Amino acid sequence: MPSDLAIAPQATHRRPRAAHVLGQNAGLILAALILLASIIGFAAMFWLEQDRLPGNFEITSTVNNTMPLAVVAIGQSIVVLTRGIDLSVGGVIDLTNALAAIWLTGGVLHMIGVSIAIVLIGAAAGLLNGLLVGLGRLQPIVVTLATLSIFQGLAIRVLPQPGGAVPPGYTDLLVNPNQPTALIFLLIAILGWMALRRSHLGVGIFAIGNDESSAVALGVNAMRTKIAAYMIGGALYAVAGLFLAANATAGDATTGDGYTLTSIVAVVLGGVNLFGGRGSAVGAICGAFITTMIVNILFFAHINPLYQSFYEGLFLVIAVVFGALIGRLVRGRR
Amino acid sequence: MSNLLPSANALRVLAAYGAAVLLFVIGNWVHPGFASFGSVTSILLVASFVGLVAAGQCFVILIGGIDLSVPWVLNAAAILLVTASLGQDSRAIYAVAVTLGMGALAGMANGIGVVWFGVPAVVMTLAMNGIIEGLALGLSGGMTCSACASYAPPVIAAAVHDVWLGIPAALWLWLVVIAVVSFVLSLTRFGRTTYAIGNNARAAYLAGINVNLTTVALYALSGLFSAMAGILLVGFGGQASLGMGTPYLFQSIAAVVIGGVSILGGRGSYLGAAAGAASLTALVSVLLALNMPDYGRSIIYGVVILVLLLLYGREQRE
Repeated sequence: MPSDLAIAPQATHRRPRAAHVLGQNAGLILAALILLASIIGFAAMFWLEQDRLPGNFEITSTVNNTMPLAVVAIGQSIVVLTRGIDLSVGGVIDLTNALAAIWLTGGVLHMIGVSIAIVLIGAAAGLLNGLLVGLGRLQPIVVTLATLSIFQGLAIRVLPQPGGAVPPGYTDLLVNPNQPTALIFLLIAILGWMALRRSHLGVGIFAIGNDESSAVALGVNAMRTKIAAYMIGGALYAVAGLFLAANATAGDATTGDGYTLTSIVAVVLGGVNLFGGRGSAVGAICGAFITTMIVNILFFAHINPLYQSFYEGLFLVIAVVFGALIGRLVRGRR
Repeated sequence: MSNLLPSANALRVLAAYGAAVLLFVIGNWVHPGFASFGSVTSILLVASFVGLVAAGQCFVILIGGIDLSVPWVLNAAAILLVTASLGQDSRAIYAVAVTLGMGALAGMANGIGVVWFGVPAVVMTLAMNGIIEGLALGLSGGMTCSACASYAPPVIAAAVHDVWLGIPAALWLWLVVIAVVSFVLSLTRFGRTTYAIGNNARAAYLAGINVNLTTVALYALSGLFSAMAGILLVGFGGQASLGMGTPYLFQSIAAVVIGGVSILGGRGSYLGAAAGAASLTALVSVLLALNMPDYGRSIIYGVVILVLLLLYGREQRE
């Protein structure tokens, strides 16, 4: 690792190692700090209201409510890392959620098979985006805007009215209402992210996000990397669709619409650079939880829910401005 | 200019107009009378709302930005117009001024966030959309306030519906906007500055252009046009409602892109974006004439945009 070279005499002009690590992970550290602050703020407000700290029930419901956004944010951040953006998130969630409501019936093996099929459909949706962006050389923002419309249409075709019934066993497995066992899935996602980060594909994703032409010159297959990134994204949005179905024990072909924008919010709050090449899934997960905590805090602060998006928008701007400011201070002026 | 062959940009604009004409021809084939004068003007009247929003969107996309705050700036403008005017003609001018001012102010805030606070345009305008949404919902009590149920002042309804020389007034307004925006973009210092920033902001700065001020002005114009569309929509439909701005984000971006404006900035014209707005609206009208269900329209809408993009929206391989 180049960090070992930092103490070599010929490299004395380099920053100390601690500053280097801090600078490299400024976004992530900041996201973790904001998350910590928001959790403390929430706990304090909860204590003032209820005379006790948030217990198992509050933690479980927070985790279960955040799971879909956390999973979506990981997918969105992988796409954003390639200097792309995916607006079709909402459509993929709509479609997979509708399919889950229709296809999921009793039988463990059946449910496993259906879940895998739905995740593959999500990946296929991502493949379409990836092909248009990678092979078609179209701009991600317009491609995914168009496919958003297509996926939303398909979802309504599949499930015209909200309905369907998800078996209780499926709900217990994915979003156990008694214990925050869903955290296990997040742990798996983080392990998967760490493996991806060290894989050939992961290196390629960061490389084309930083400088596509240099990455291509160094032998990264930009087209294949982009297609893979959008496919992973699509598969993860499908997972979110499954979590939403499990949470609501039913399906709704419009349930995902809000996630297009909130996933971008979570990614930005998680310290992922919207211009690609910098960020991590762990940060995105933090960003998703920050988003939920803000809503919780507003609730306990007795803010009129009608003003909710006002405070969320304000918080987003302030977080990004201060994030950039602190990042610049830590990294030194450039 | 000395070249006799049309440039690639001109071809894109022509393609957008070709698409609009083709859609009217197809519409007339599946639904006789579709391309009659009355039908065409009423479709173009609906297109003018998209077209106005697309004018603002075109300004910011030309400098490589984007305005995601369109839905709620438009919606808040509609609500503000009816609540400020209370449906009275005597208050109409005041209400229009306040509403346009609100739109310009929101856009200016977007520009300031992008320029001086270094917030990416996607994030800044997304946050602004939320901020305006929260304010509009909160201040109007979720559209339950007594003034919220007011109708648009008759003057404003007339300014949309009245027919002069066979053409509805709002369509005249759009034609004027097309002429003015095209003039500003292609023949004025401000317009050349806009293209210069879109092509290379650093080079523009080094050439002595006030990049920051121009950027703020362009975002302010985008907010202004969204607000203007909100006013006309209230005049068109009579009342304000929640969610009325939502379709206009997608449509304005699609219109601009179909019109041959590069989403990366620096290339394209409003003339093309206006054609994009017309062809999008014509497409929706054709599908409606075919009694296409909602989901089918949504799918075909996406597919057509993709096909148009694949035909001429591709990046050049460097």
